[in-house]
Amino acid sequence: MLKRVTGEQWIALGVILIGLIMAWQITGMSQSTGYAGIGPRFFPSVIAAGLLLTGVILFIQSRPSKHPETEDKTQDPDHPLDYETPHPNWRMFSIASAALILHMSLISTLGFTLAGTILCFGICLALETENKIRDLILSFLLVLGLFHLFKWLGLNLPALITGGVI
Amino acid sequence: MDGLYNLFTVGFATALTPMNLLWALVGCTLGTAIGVLPGVGPAVTVALLLPVTQSIDPTGALIMLAGVYYGAMFGGSTTSILLNTPGEAGSIVSALEGNKMAKAGRGGPALSTAAIGSFVAGSIATVLLTVLAPLIATLTLKLGPVEMFALMVLTFAAVSAVLGNSPLKGVISLLIGLAIGLIGIEQQSGQARFTFGSAALLDGIDIVVIAMGLFAIGETLYTATYENHLKARVESLAGRFWMSKEDWRRSWKPWLRGTAIGFPFGTIPAGGTEMPTFLSYSAERKLAPPEVQKEFGKGAIEGVAGPEAANNAAVTGTLIPLLTLGIPTSATAAIMLAAFQQYNIAPGPLLFDTNPELVWGLIASLYIGNVMLLILNLPLVGLWVQLLKVPRPLLYGGIVVLATMGAYALRQNWFDLLLLYIVGLMGFVMRRYDFPVVPLIVGLIVGPMAEKFFRRAMSINQGDLTVFLTHPVSLSLLIITLAILIVPTYLKRRQNYLNKP
Repeated sequence: MLKRVTGEQWIALGVILIGLIMAWQITGMSQSTGYAGIGPRFFPSVIAAGLLLTGVILFIQSRPSKHPETEDKTQDPDHPLDYETPHPNWRMFSIASAALILHMSLISTLGFTLAGTILCFGICLALETENKIRDLILSFLLVLGLFHLFKWLGLNLPALITGGVI
Repeated sequence: MDGLYNLFTVGFATALTPMNLLWALVGCTLGTAIGVLPGVGPAVTVALLLPVTQSIDPTGALIMLAGVYYGAMFGGSTTSILLNTPGEAGSIVSALEGNKMAKAGRGGPALSTAAIGSFVAGSIATVLLTVLAPLIATLTLKLGPVEMFALMVLTFAAVSAVLGNSPLKGVISLLIGLAIGLIGIEQQSGQARFTFGSAALLDGIDIVVIAMGLFAIGETLYTATYENHLKARVESLAGRFWMSKEDWRRSWKPWLRGTAIGFPFGTIPAGGTEMPTFLSYSAERKLAPPEVQKEFGKGAIEGVAGPEAANNAAVTGTLIPLLTLGIPTSATAAIMLAAFQQYNIAPGPLLFDTNPELVWGLIASLYIGNVMLLILNLPLVGLWVQLLKVPRPLLYGGIVVLATMGAYALRQNWFDLLLLYIVGLMGFVMRRYDFPVVPLIVGLIVGPMAEKFFRRAMSINQGDLTVFLTHPVSLSLLIITLAILIVPTYLKRRQNYLNKP
């Protein structure tokens, strides 16, 4: 019996889920076949089937082994990283994610420069910066510089006030 | 020798205009900088520049992108030698010996042999490209949709089975890429596929979003979560900088051998520069005289010279399938192909007839770029070393801002930023569980082309699936595909069986 689901098995389940969503979407496509019998459904069906198949194989292959004590010594060549990966720091992961989400929700109101400064500084925090004030100032200057560089290159980026300098 | 004639008449005439020279210089400089910065590879850079290049003429833009691609390979060696953190996959091996040399105060000769080796290999490979590309283009003109589809299947198999340590993970990555490639309006029937009723998905998901998400956002999330405690030390450039006579004597053969190994590997769909650089390293190790063999692992100059040459030769080699067949064999080449598509130019055998200025200008710019890069990387190396001193948090902050900008500038839609974050999460998971990303990128770009060729093949042959087995060229390609998929698994099984007591 499976006692726990490994990380790779979650991925396998995700792959199977994508395959199923595709299969469900394919049934909604019209079967307007070209004159050679190959319609817009054919390729998606092949890929969906492939995802379902490989998902199942990955799920079976990555079952937790029954004898973890012996496995640890003769390292499984397929997952050499499993035992080496250091402990994840999810706090830092959340800070980086929060910065990205804040940025996407604020960019149209605050403009590129201010939203970008928040993002850049947020990433600095997530990477455990040792000098927060320096990084905050440099983040602002960097993003401001990029804003003007790319405006000059003809890229259309949102400003705080239309046509503003930040 | 048509190639040489065209190179000197059309090619250099195009590449030597002031504007195109400027683009080449911008590309090479930017590429070197990016290659030097740890954590940023050429694929991200080329993707990042796609929105910017829309306002430039295609020839100039592609010359610049090729400069970035080349420059990143030159710059990458600086990082792996002085920091032991390879900036891109092809420099992993140079870090082995190069960093040891730098620790022993021989950083200068290590950087020199890498730069001169890259120059030698790049120049020889460009000559080969000049001569071979037109010949291959004439040959590939004879390939119909049946053969083209078989060739793409072979590419899919090669990039997913050869890279990474698990063919299964490679295939899953490929299938995800193919699935993402399906999103949007299907060209022949005009039907929307997998858009879930969202108008923003009708055009499909842009390659910029995928490349940025996987490489820039995924990498940043991974570093923040797992690698914050890692602190790398930049080796200083003490001691004499130039190579001694002895260093030259020991370097020139590895340069040539590296070129010979790297170039063919670039031309076949085996996914870029990792394989040839590793092969070159082990070849140099085996061929070295006994007294030098002892130096391997402690800083042998051969172990830098060979792989760096192989790396650059392979990069040039990838341009052959890209230009003559329109098939990319590495992530960066796939994004370069997207750049061609942006201008509605389809690389392939006809490109040499329809856009001679573009192709020959691009090839001529490679010769010029190689010289530029040698100058940028040798006398000016001290400048690039300064880049390594940029604090890591700010470096990643800047990369993420650029990535979001690239995604947002496409359509000014926050939805693209959400997609970018989701793709970033996917990249994070793939990195954590060791899924290769190259198959995903190649699947995304080549997938829609493969579907088109498949349907064309079917309509010519009245839907008869056996054509893939009755056409000799396509049959042989499919047999090779099968071999690529089966042989490694078989060898592994056998190894496991033999290892059992």
